[in-house]
Amino acid sequence: MLFDDIDPRSPTPLYAQIAARVRIAVAAGDLGPGDSLPSVRVLARTLRVNPATVSQAYSDLAADGFVEKRHGQGTFIQEVPSFLRDEERAATAQRLVRKLLQDGARLGIDGEELSRAFYSEVGVEIIE
Amino acid sequence: MPSTQKWESRSLNNAIELNGVCWRADKSFALKDVSLSVPAGSIYGFLGPNGSGKTTTIRLFMGMMKPDSGEIRVLGQNVPKDMKSILGRVGYVPERPHVYPALTVAEQVRYHSSFYKNWDEGWCKELLGSLRLDPDRKISRMSKGETGKLLLLLALSQRPDLLVLDEPTDGLDPIVRRDVFTALLDYVSEVSATVFISSHLVHELERFCDWVAVMDDGKLVAELPMQQFKNGIKRLRIANAPESADEPPFTILSRDRSNGIGSTETWIVRGWEPPMRHYFEGVGATVRDVMDLDLEEGFVELLRSSRPTHENGG
Repeated sequence: MLFDDIDPRSPTPLYAQIAARVRIAVAAGDLGPGDSLPSVRVLARTLRVNPATVSQAYSDLAADGFVEKRHGQGTFIQEVPSFLRDEERAATAQRLVRKLLQDGARLGIDGEELSRAFYSEVGVEIIE
Repeated sequence: MPSTQKWESRSLNNAIELNGVCWRADKSFALKDVSLSVPAGSIYGFLGPNGSGKTTTIRLFMGMMKPDSGEIRVLGQNVPKDMKSILGRVGYVPERPHVYPALTVAEQVRYHSSFYKNWDEGWCKELLGSLRLDPDRKISRMSKGETGKLLLLLALSQRPDLLVLDEPTDGLDPIVRRDVFTALLDYVSEVSATVFISSHLVHELERFCDWVAVMDDGKLVAELPMQQFKNGIKRLRIANAPESADEPPFTILSRDRSNGIGSTETWIVRGWEPPMRHYFEGVGATVRDVMDLDLEEGFVELLRSSRPTHENGG
């Protein structure tokens, strides 16, 4: 499920994690215009989080134009301009790289070593 | 000491307010000058080890005991003076069950409901189903988990503005715990109620509390929004750490040489912000790593640093 891996122990606030899952799913095309999100109540009880947390996530998504709240009907994915989707994909890629660099720094592996490893890994993929 | 005026104005937006509350049981235990504010509409986690004064605090603001000094307000009204009108709006799950073993579930529900004018029969029936409670079952024959679910059902069916839960899941199995929290979150997504929940099971609260308070040895050690609690406390790995830290911009909760890797030290700090890295450059040290602590680790570090033995113990 979309929200399976949200982590209450992470320092990233839960509302931001929930919103990020939706943004990534939209960027990846897993969620498209008109798709509905679970109601605040249903998602709060499924994830066992504070309903205010879900509301906040949905409000943030609405403010960014990813979703539309239709009164009494629910929350629906909006037609997202392709540049926003691209931005989201780029931001996700950036986050992945930042995490990789941080983990590397912790182990004393610098960016150059990582990038060599990256190309060799990508290279292996291409040959396959 | 806050002025009376401030105390009045703050209490408008708070479901529970304690101001300088002291209460002494005997020589061995006392609540010492406890002041706390539970914002209306919040889910407020009340943490602390066993015997730290959580239940005593709850009993005081539920009007079951009188403080030696200090002021208490619940839902804007005075405790214990206005307790009668407050109790109709508060759902309370005490530490020890207050149900009658000789009654069946249905009988206990009927008895309890007669005290509350907002009692919601439909919601109560729905909860009996979703919590899988048998109305004909005798309470004396119920397991601890079933009793726990019944207590929550009684509190929720009152349609309270404030829910006070004293260790509601202590000793319950994971499935029952999940049932209890699901019912609780269902309620707060429908009604804008305030939830005050005490627990020593820190992880349980991490998912849904927006405020956290920590009690230790009869004192309130911390009270802050959950996000601030989790983001402000960090574990730092420092190379060439200075012998003594002169006026750092953060609070050092602990420092540990043995835990470091190689020549580094591990510091636990509170009130951390990323620009504070510069402080270490200024004293010739380097921050190798900044690690996040989850709620439980933060809780443990906070208690460790709040205890006086820490200074001698090291």
